[in-house]
This record gives sequence, structure tokens and C-alpha cells, in this order.
Amino acid sequence: MTSPARLLRRVNWLGLGTLGLLAALWEAAVRSGAVAYQFLPAPSAIAGSAGDLVASGEMGAAVLHTLQVTLLGWALAAALGIGLGLLLGLSPTAWRYSMASIEVVRAIPPVSLVPVALLAFGFSIRMELTIIFFVSAWPVLVNTIGGVRGVRSELLDVARMLRMSRATRIAKVVLPAAMPAILVGLRLALSLSLVLAVVAEMIGNPHGLGNALMSAQQALQPEQMFAYVLAIGVLGIGLNAVVALAAARLVPSASARRPEGGRR
Amino acid sequence: MTASRSRCRPSFPPLRGLLPLGLLLLAWQLLGSESSPYFPPPSTWARGLQRLWENGTLGPAARETLVTFTLSLGLATVAGSVLGLAVGAFRRVDRAVGPTLEFARAMPPVAMVPIAVLLIGYGEAMKVAVVTLAAVWPILLNARAGVRTIDPVLVDTACSLRLGWFDTVCKCTAPALAPSIILGVRVAAPVALVITLLVEIVTRVGGLGGLIALSQRNYLSGQVYGLILVAGLFSFLVNGLVALLEGAVLRNRPRS
Amino acid sequence: MTTTGTRVRQVTAFESHGVGVELDSSEGRRRILAGVDLRVADGEFLTVMGRSGAGKTTLLRVLGGLLAPTRGSEVRFQGRPVDGPPDGAVFVFQNYAASLLPWRTVERNVALGLERRMAKAEIRARVAEALAMVGLADRANDYPWRLSGGMQQRVQLARALAVRPSALLMDEPFGALDAMTKGALQDQLLGVRQRTGATVVFVTHDIDEAVYLSDRIVVLDGSPATIAREFEVDLPRPRHQLTTKERPEFLEVRRAVYDAIVDGHD
Repeated sequence: MTSPARLLRRVNWLGLGTLGLLAALWEAAVRSGAVAYQFLPAPSAIAGSAGDLVASGEMGAAVLHTLQVTLLGWALAAALGIGLGLLLGLSPTAWRYSMASIEVVRAIPPVSLVPVALLAFGFSIRMELTIIFFVSAWPVLVNTIGGVRGVRSELLDVARMLRMSRATRIAKVVLPAAMPAILVGLRLALSLSLVLAVVAEMIGNPHGLGNALMSAQQALQPEQMFAYVLAIGVLGIGLNAVVALAAARLVPSASARRPEGGRR
Repeated sequence: MTASRSRCRPSFPPLRGLLPLGLLLLAWQLLGSESSPYFPPPSTWARGLQRLWENGTLGPAARETLVTFTLSLGLATVAGSVLGLAVGAFRRVDRAVGPTLEFARAMPPVAMVPIAVLLIGYGEAMKVAVVTLAAVWPILLNARAGVRTIDPVLVDTACSLRLGWFDTVCKCTAPALAPSIILGVRVAAPVALVITLLVEIVTRVGGLGGLIALSQRNYLSGQVYGLILVAGLFSFLVNGLVALLEGAVLRNRPRS
Repeated sequence: MTTTGTRVRQVTAFESHGVGVELDSSEGRRRILAGVDLRVADGEFLTVMGRSGAGKTTLLRVLGGLLAPTRGSEVRFQGRPVDGPPDGAVFVFQNYAASLLPWRTVERNVALGLERRMAKAEIRARVAEALAMVGLADRANDYPWRLSGGMQQRVQLARALAVRPSALLMDEPFGALDAMTKGALQDQLLGVRQRTGATVVFVTHDIDEAVYLSDRIVVLDGSPATIAREFEVDLPRPRHQLTTKERPEFLEVRRAVYDAIVDGHD
């Protein structure tokens, strides 16, 4: 089978068709007045509004802000999380004297810390960054610790037998072996970063997609609201996809999927 | 032997690890100034909570959060199980509805809040709608996976004994699905709690989250911290209860 | 009490005319069976044999109403057309572990086919009777996954017997068991059959087992499969694991069946 033909066959036409059908039904329902929520716009109106926002640059500005803040906060969290995680993972003593504290702090629902950040930093980018950084660091930290501690002792024995220096051992054995767990932590942290960025923007920082969404709500502009919601969703999917792709390229063995276990 | 549930639950790390936290709190208490609006010492937290308890706001708020959480989790379990069952049992349905579900799942719940507010208005219904929407996915996905692992012989057995579809579902399919669903509930419960708090903080519609947001606006920082602790406590309790539930459901089953 | 020869009663348990079955496979629809004509007398022990993939299980499922044949086929049980599991016939599966409900005790598993169809007292009586017939009365309150493979299969058998069926359809029920357990269960099955007079349609790979247990053996062959050969097993009952298998008639039939299955392809 030729490549394009096989590709076409793999596309889920039934699924896409259903999606399209639902959108069409939605459109028809709103236009015909069968469903007349005051604030439920038709898909065509949403698309139009989205186009307008893109054209005017508002969408671009909002997306850019949220994206920048998310990535920056995430990168900082990753650096701290991996660094500290390595430390705590490699030193059993340090682990014993800190893990319980980490578990307790981790149990606090992240979203409830947003008001604290507001108190401390007011309406600003600093607040947004701080909250993203603080909350996203935990998944990275915990997963790194788990990954490092989970490195099979046989591998460590090999390192010792080859008389590797500490730095070499960490770089060549521990880190690669812990990569799958670290990657999981990074992906979790990224989703969390985006969510927190939006939340922070919704209640604290007058920029970005979250803020634009709230403004649209207060201005009673449902078409714009839906457009922004879609933007947030797409941004989330996009970020996840990019990270997954990068992980697959840079660390292929780490992101190898286990086959789905199903009968039949 | 009872089915092992400690297999998946890691035991709590050594308690001496609480030392850093304890030291931090101690230092905070000693060095922090009572009047600091940003980092009030722990004693103010206790006082703030006590005040809330005495003037009768803490109890109802906690109750409201709990009600929203329980109701939403219940709805999510029912909806997730039924949908997951339907999608898992029929390949055609799975392929047809798949992309739509993936699309809906990708929309972050936080972004749904303003839409829900606009469509449903401020109130309990809106909260439940958003939280249910967020919590349904783990249950749905797990139910779908669970259906695929049901051995066809089980269905044939029910058929051969002429059980009728109602009895087949009640006596064979549902108990066979129970472990998968309870796993989904275990993942969904923390999500439900977090999203409940999130909705409350963002919309300030009652509950613990609303109280936190209110305290923040009034610069009652000690209260804020205290309430956050209460939220953390809730989180622990929820996880513990769900673990108990899981133990009960998986009792008298072989280790798979 | 011995009887010689097969009892050919006038009453028919199962009959099939021109049964064909098409199934979906990776290469599209495949005809598994075509034109299978079969008549099983009431009280007869019939074994269906054939090489792997010949369609033995498929035929059994058609007789048991678990699989619909192609249009134009006719399947009857006790004179009535079969379109779904018929009243009075019960299936016993090879994969006993998957067929028993792990969240129910042995007792409640056996009761599965009886619930809501009769009074509780009668259900209890029937369950006790069925468990006694298979010798598991003392394990009623255990969970099936704690029992050995042989015992689990006996539980499945007890579950079938509790319904008091006039026919048992058994799909390689002893295939997963070791030789000693297999022998014990074979005899238990024969004992049960003697007491209840049930018809048994049995599928197996094991030629010795087939000859030991049956009154008649049919061999499926071909693609799509039909009944290629048929053998009467004219051995006295009750049968005995050692003495019956030493008889020259046993060895003759065994040889004939072996030739039919192993060499009898075109």
C-alpha cells in the first residue's frame, strides 16, 4: 500500500465525521432558535469572533503572554525540581530527613495557594510566575526523586565496577535511567503550569488568556469567550504534543510506550 | 487472603522527614511579625481559624465544599461508568465518539468556569457542572479499559444460563467492571476536590474556596493560611476514604 | 447394570440440518461450517472431534444457541428451533477460571442460574444436591480462585447440574487439567450422566477420552467443515479407566478415529 493511501486509511473518518456532525447540529440548533440560551453562540459566530481576535492581534498578545509565563515558570520549576530531586534521590540521609515534609506540603491543593500569592505579590507578573514555579516544582521534584531512587541496583553496581567518578555515574547512568520518571514529572508540571497561569490571570494578573477570558465574560461576549477557551485548549494540546515529540526524539528509549494490554 | 491494596499505595516516608517542615514553622513563628500582611506566623493561622469557627462561617463553608465534591464525584462516577461501558463495548461507538471526547477532554476545566457561569449562572448547579465535567474523564477512561478486559467467556456463561440482560449486567458485567471503576474514582477524587476549590476561588461562590478568596480580599492573611491547611486536610481525608472504599470493593477478589 | 449397544431412543435431543456458519476473520468472512447434518438422540453421549480449527467449538456453540448459523440452516432442540440458548441445555466452558465469578463463593456461583426463578429454599436444596454430585459439598463457602483447577471445573459442572438440564454441551472441559484429575472428572461425569440421564455433546482433542466417554464420535473435516466420519462406540457401560481401555474394541475404535483425524484429509 502506498504511503499516502495508508495514511488516509488510518485517519478516523467516522470520528471526525461525528465531530463535524455535532458542530453542524449545534449550528442548526442555535440558528433555528430551537436552543435559545441567551449566551450560547453558534460555532460560526465563534469562528468569526476568533478570526477577528486574531486579526486585531488581541489573541496573539494574550497567547504570547500566557505561553511565555507558562514556559518560564515551568523551566524554572524544572531546573529546581531536577536539581533538588537529584540531591534528595541520591542521598538516603537527605531523603529520610525531608521526604515526609515534601509529602505533607504536596497534599495542599495547588489552586488554594493562588490567594496567598495574591496577598504577597498583588496583581502582577511576579505573582503569576511565583505561583507557577512553586506549584509546578513539586511534580518534577517528586518524580525525579522517585526516578533516581528507582534506578536498578544492578546498574549502579556496573557503574561502580567500571570505577566511574561520581559525576560520571550521575550523568551516564543515574540520569538516563531516571529519565522516564523525570519526563512524566515534566509533562505533569507543564499541564499544571498552564492551568495555574490561566487561573492566576483570571483572578490576579491583567494580561494573558485567563484575563481575556474573564474580560469577555464580564463584557457579555460569549463568542469571544468560546474563542479564548478554544485557544487555551489548543495551547494545552500543542504544548503537550511538543514536549512528547521532543522527548521521543531526544530520549527515545525513555518514552517508549508499553503495549496496551487488552484481550481478544 | 484479602486482596492486596498496599501494592499500589506507597507507605509514608520516615517521620523524621517532618523535621524541616517543623523547623520552618518554628522559625516562621519566632521570626515572623504578627502584623505582616504577607507571611503571618502560624499562631495567626490558628487564631484565624478559631475566629471563623466561632462566628459560624467555617462549618457551613466546609460543608458546602463537601456537598459539591460528593455530588459531583457521584455524578461523574455514574456518567463515566455508563459512557465508558458504552464506548468500550462497541468499537464503532468508540471510533465515532473518540475525537469528540478527546476534544472535550482537552478543554481545561478552569477555562470552562466562565462559560458555565454565563450559561448557568452563579450557583451550586454551575459548580457541580464544572467539577463533574472535570472528574468524569479518569472514570470514563478506566471503565472503557475495564470493559475491554472482560473475558468473553463471562458473557457466554451468562448467556448460556439464560440470565437476561438485566441480570447479566447486575451480576456479571458490573462486578467485573468494579475494580476498573474504583481505580478511576481513586484518580478522579483528588481532581474533583481541586476543581471544586478552584471554582470556588475563582467565582467566590461559597465553600472553602470562596472563604479563602474572601479572606484574601480582606487581607486576613492568617485566615488564608489557616484555610489552606484545612483544604490540605480535606485532601488527606478524601484520599484516605477512597482508599478504604477501594479496599472494600476489592475484598475477596484474587490478586489479578 | 450394564447395557450393550447404544440406546437409540425415538426422542431427539439436538438436530441440525444443513448448518453453515460464517465468521469474520482478518481475511474477511470465512465459511467455517457448511451443510452439517447431525442428529443427537436423547441420553446419548456424542463427541465431536477434528483437527485444531476445524470448527468443533463453533458447532457446539451453534447447538447451544450462542452463535447464529447462516440463513437456511436449521437447528432444533427437542423439536423446537434454537435461537438463543434453549431451555434445558447448558454450556460448560473450557476456561473455568473466566467462567466462574471470582467475587462469589462456590455456593453462590452454583446458584447463579437459579436465582429469581424459584424459592430460596429450593435454590439452596438444588445447590447442595449439585455440589454433592461433584463431591464439593464441603467447599461451598470458599471462593473459586482458592480451589485447584480440577475443583473449579467441578464447580462449573455443579452450576450446570443445578439447573437440571436435559443436555450438557461441553467444550474441552478437561483440556486444561492434568491426567490424574482428568480421569477422575471423566468418571464423575459418567456417574452424573448415569444418574440424570442427560444428553452430552462433548468436544475434545483427546482421542482416548473421546472413545472412553462416548456412545458415538463424529469427526469434522474439510474447509468449510462437514461431518466427515462417524463412529459407533460399542463398549459396555459402566466404563472403567483400566479395563475398558484394555478391550480390543476400544483399541479398534481408537485406531479408526486416529486414522480419520490424522490421515483423513484430502
